[in-house]
Amino acid sequence: MNVAPRYLGRGSWLARRDPRVLILVAVLAAIAVPQVFDLRIALVLLVIAQLYYRAARIPFATVRAQWAFVFIFLTIIVLVNTVITGGEVGTLVLGDLHILFHLPLLNTPISAEAVAYGATQMVRYLTFASVGFPIAFAVAPADLGPAFARLRVPYKFAFGIDLTFRFIPSLADDLQTTIDAQRVRGYDPDRKGRGPIGRLRRLTPVVVPLTINAIVNAEDTIDAMDLRAFGTGKRTWLRELIYDQSDKLILAGTVGILLIITALNLAGYTRLWTPGFLIDLAGG
Amino acid sequence: MSTMPISRDTLWEVTSRTIVYAAIGAALYAVLGLFNFLLPGTQNVYVRPAYALVPFFGYAFGPIVGFFTGFVGNIAIDQITGYGAFTAWNWSLANGLAGLLAGVLPAMMGARMASSNKMVSAAIVAVVATIIGFAFVVTDIWVFGTAPETVLTASYIPVVIANVLSAVILTPILVAVWGPLQEQLGR
Repeated sequence: MNVAPRYLGRGSWLARRDPRVLILVAVLAAIAVPQVFDLRIALVLLVIAQLYYRAARIPFATVRAQWAFVFIFLTIIVLVNTVITGGEVGTLVLGDLHILFHLPLLNTPISAEAVAYGATQMVRYLTFASVGFPIAFAVAPADLGPAFARLRVPYKFAFGIDLTFRFIPSLADDLQTTIDAQRVRGYDPDRKGRGPIGRLRRLTPVVVPLTINAIVNAEDTIDAMDLRAFGTGKRTWLRELIYDQSDKLILAGTVGILLIITALNLAGYTRLWTPGFLIDLAGG
Repeated sequence: MSTMPISRDTLWEVTSRTIVYAAIGAALYAVLGLFNFLLPGTQNVYVRPAYALVPFFGYAFGPIVGFFTGFVGNIAIDQITGYGAFTAWNWSLANGLAGLLAGVLPAMMGARMASSNKMVSAAIVAVVATIIGFAFVVTDIWVFGTAPETVLTASYIPVVIANVLSAVILTPILVAVWGPLQEQLGR
């Protein structure tokens, strides 16, 4: 089982950025993108996000499965949403829509507006994915703790995040050891049958000892931290984080985009836009 | 009988013990969270057995540990699987809220919890915490721009079914094993 971090090293331009930049860009995108329902604006944001994504130089073979999942998941969500809403789009009811065709069997009307809305939903989430994926590949796991600490997350919790990623490899080893030990006692993790409840119960010989051993063995870590006066005063981090010019430019640009999108939203310019050719196709 | 759950006085205390248990919970959730299986009869409901750790850590060690286990654990799963820490930020928060509630509910129920069967009370707390905590996925309405009915049928109900199944089977077993050990070790 592979729990190795996906971090690709500092080879790409984005990986050489301060890790706080990648986190903040994702957070700001999560605020900006949901305000947009106009496909034209969403496409502009997607292009910007894709330029940002390309700066991480993530080999496609490494993320092929993730992109495939995103596309399939989005397609299902868009289709389910269209069927469940009976073809209606936001505040638009059937009388306002330009119907293109009806779905076979369900007879759900598919309108030009629904197609535009579905396309906008997909573009929006592809934008999220484009700014979100690089965090896994361009931020070293050891940098997450200092990054959150410098983002004013309380020291104890930032240290907890750092500790989490430090524990993962050793717990993965312990998991394999536990499975092997239980196999020697006759446990078969691959045995099928007896439904989901049976499968969950069959995981008990692995989950329970792994969890309990991890908790019991935590005492050494707790003692080590207490002996070093954890939590009694301000601490520094080995990894020093300083914004350079490029970091400041990216952050300024992202904040600028957020402000523009928010202003457009408040002025009513980010509402659903339906391309003229779709309306013409519906007999306009 | 076991001294779980923890008292109201220490509920929100953050000590080195809190942080280490939280980190262990999150790391365990991350490692075991890579295993899942399709619920028979469905096409997109995946049962993640490791979810049972979230209400367990909340129930056993308090709301802060529970929240951290769910929130950071889900973030760690997304990091390991290559989706990035914040691509599904609202789902990470939903996991965290379920863990937080699993830590708060026993303290709220107080004396009634102390006298009841610990396995049954753990199962009830896990189910209630899951149902309430995962209501946060309603934010998909804003994130995806989907209708409330879609979020309910395509997101909320499937994840609650899957997680309740894991929690009801595995969380009480973890509580039953840890309780006497906790007393023995004096934690």
